Amino acid sequence: MTGPLTLESIAEKMKEFGVSEQARKNRIRVTTTPDKVHDTIRTVQAMFGFDRLITISAVDNTRTLELIYHLTGPHRIIVSIAVELERDQPAMPTIFDILPPAGIYERQIHDLFGIVFTGNPNMKRIMLNEDWPADEYPLRKDWKPDPDTFYGGIKGERS
Amino acid sequence: MTDPVFGLIYIFIFPGFLFLFIYALFFAFLDRKIASRMQQRVGPPFFQPFADFIKMLGKEVIDPAGVDRVIFDAAPLVALAAVMTAYLYVPIIGNSPLAFQGDLVVVLYLLSLPTLVLFLLGWLSRNIFSAIGGIRAITQLFIYEVPFFLALLTPALMAGTWSISEIVLWQQKNLWFVFLQPIGFIVALIGLQAKLERTPFDIPEAETEIVAGPWTELTGRRLAIMDLTIDVSLVVGSALVAALFLGGPLIPWAITPAWLEGIICFLLFLIKTLAVLLILSSIKVATGRIRIDQLNDIGWKYIASASLVQVGIVLVMNYLWVYA
Amino acid sequence: MPEVVVSIGPHHPALKEPVNFKIIADGEKIVRLELDLSYNHRGVEKAAEQRDFIRVLPLLERVCGICSHSHSTAFAQGIEEIMQIEIPPRARYIRTIIAELERMHSHLLWLGVAAHLIGFNTLFMWTWRDREAVQDTVEEMSGNRVHYNMNEIGGVRCDLTPAQVNAALARLPNLEERVNKYVDMVNYEETMLLRFRGVGRLSKEEALRYGTVGPTARASGIDYDTRKDDPYLAYADAPWNVVTDTNGDVYGRTRVRVWEIQESLRIVRYCLENLPEGAIRVPAPKNAPKGEILSRYEAPRGELAHFIRTNGTDRVERVDIRTPTLANWTSVAMCLVNQNLADIPVIVAAIDPCLSCTSRITLVENQTKKAGVISFDELIRRYRSRNPEEV
Repeated sequence: MTGPLTLESIAEKMKEFGVSEQARKNRIRVTTTPDKVHDTIRTVQAMFGFDRLITISAVDNTRTLELIYHLTGPHRIIVSIAVELERDQPAMPTIFDILPPAGIYERQIHDLFGIVFTGNPNMKRIMLNEDWPADEYPLRKDWKPDPDTFYGGIKGERS
Repeated sequence: MTDPVFGLIYIFIFPGFLFLFIYALFFAFLDRKIASRMQQRVGPPFFQPFADFIKMLGKEVIDPAGVDRVIFDAAPLVALAAVMTAYLYVPIIGNSPLAFQGDLVVVLYLLSLPTLVLFLLGWLSRNIFSAIGGIRAITQLFIYEVPFFLALLTPALMAGTWSISEIVLWQQKNLWFVFLQPIGFIVALIGLQAKLERTPFDIPEAETEIVAGPWTELTGRRLAIMDLTIDVSLVVGSALVAALFLGGPLIPWAITPAWLEGIICFLLFLIKTLAVLLILSSIKVATGRIRIDQLNDIGWKYIASASLVQVGIVLVMNYLWVYA
Repeated sequence: MPEVVVSIGPHHPALKEPVNFKIIADGEKIVRLELDLSYNHRGVEKAAEQRDFIRVLPLLERVCGICSHSHSTAFAQGIEEIMQIEIPPRARYIRTIIAELERMHSHLLWLGVAAHLIGFNTLFMWTWRDREAVQDTVEEMSGNRVHYNMNEIGGVRCDLTPAQVNAALARLPNLEERVNKYVDMVNYEETMLLRFRGVGRLSKEEALRYGTVGPTARASGIDYDTRKDDPYLAYADAPWNVVTDTNGDVYGRTRVRVWEIQESLRIVRYCLENLPEGAIRVPAPKNAPKGEILSRYEAPRGELAHFIRTNGTDRVERVDIRTPTLANWTSVAMCLVNQNLADIPVIVAAIDPCLSCTSRITLVENQTKKAGVISFDELIRRYRSRNPEEV
């Protein structure tokens, strides 16, 4: 790291990974591609000390699925790394190996959005019941509850 | 013990089993009430332990799958019978008419039985929580039993007799053992607390860790009887400590008529056992539960050494003063 | 003794919440554990996408029973920022007061639970009695003990009268005295020291690596506190310090929490004494412009993050709630290994887990006893069809 840590220096550095913009007074948003996420996170970790993953947010904007990784560090600047994924068979390299807390968020997103994180060793159910249908992801916009189906595909008599 | 009617009344009605039953439930009530007042709660009404007992007797008895029912039914009764028998040798009004040379050892042995029964229940329950609780109970037994026995045997050592009643008589002539053997008294209280599995030694039934330990699968009358066993042990233990260290139900002066002396002795028994209960309840309220490995450390390092030191002091005192 | 599997939860006296740990233990030592949260997913996030902002606030308040104000404030803050409206200072202060009272009652509750878990019921009874004073204060201010429902987009729902302020101030000295007593107890009470010291230790590096938040992180010497990092509400004005401790074990977390109660008392006192005059809300537009925001809030359990995206209508496109408990699970799984079986409840409780925050989607029908997820419209339709005359 050279010179004092400023938003500009981070934004400058982030240019090589994608479109960078300042979202708020201490926040930077970087739009990049799935294959570069790993490198981006490694870079911000190494160069600017972003050692802390706040969360991974997932959004379904009906065309694509978006993942936004929010990181922060001792300087309290937040960098949000956004990627877009295809809706069918979405896959994403895991960042579990560089940020262990990501594991539980990835499992949650896998449950609710059906994004597969390749390389995550423990991609099991965590949020939804074990008898939830395998190919239904309730937080996707096109998911509608089937009025005749309850958990586990039980055909229920309606009250 | 020449008159059989007197013997039967003594064993079954007063101060035997019937009185013991009522007094044990009263003790349980008082224990809970003291604790609740110290914790700024209202506490149970007077008849609550009795109501609990009756209620639990009426509840359905559930057999866990694969349990040997005969042993499961019998084990709590064995425990209850053991502690109730132990009670008969403890002086209540004057001396126990059943006293014999060596009844101290019998009482200590009988008081250990509930713990063994708890282990057995835990092992029989085929439940992982019960099994762990049972193992903890037996581990704890090995830790507190040695110092507890040593602490209770030191009065016998000084009095030169193995009968509780004769130890009480010795104190009547000389001095209470609580003044002669303060370390032994403290160790005995700690040991009693551990024996009764009360905080900080409620490790075998630690609610938040292993549900209820060996008690987990106990239901209905089994639970009622086991609960009663613990209440009775509380009375017997308190009475034992009161007899061995606080001079028991005897006063140094002779009072005529004899019935007045009997009443005074009985009141003394009540006061002294209640005093012991107050100490035990205060310990219960003032502490949290320690871990089994910590108990192991504390028990063998400090409590056992303290009781050994007490035995040493008693031997020296015997040599220099008592039997000089 | 061979390895045994001790299944803790979803029904267990230590954890009164729907979570399951499969603990593989060797005698009294824990070898590893597996975690399952999947018992109570309630679908709050999906439901939040289907109603307008005014209705989302009460919904989000019900994400959690303890930190209800946290969720609604985090959401309201985010929406207000997207709408670019500034709430009046009086509203900021009132929100702060409620937030800190909530922190106090949450920490007092936790202290009681932690004491109960080590069998120290006296402290449990005492803290819960004192917690009542805090809850009475909140009830006087908002009308509710738990779900205060104080927030609105653009301000707060009800004002504080001088009588309410004085009543709250009158309760503070007694609380301060009691909390000082608890600080003493935590530092010197022998059985608590025995059970808390060195249990579930996380070094500073580990705490950073496993992404802990809140008191768990601060007990390991990490001074992350959203209230200071990203000041919101009245935290920039009030005098207070970020509490940290270097112990990193349950003892450290307990100390951080009792000290935080003291800091909260200071903040509440400051805010009550310096309550600005003026309006308590500004009118907010019905629709929010397109935008996205990561709204951070320091809930009693740690940093709460709401990722909100709006799409120009009166509904959110997506609200993604990351609760502090979820962030702390990883560290729990790590620090349980090689610990004593007797310490599981304490270690798990030391992060103050809040499962209702963590799992957020399911609806159980009372009559058919079946669980299922239904939409809000479906719920309304069903409600109307069941009670045609009442609607």
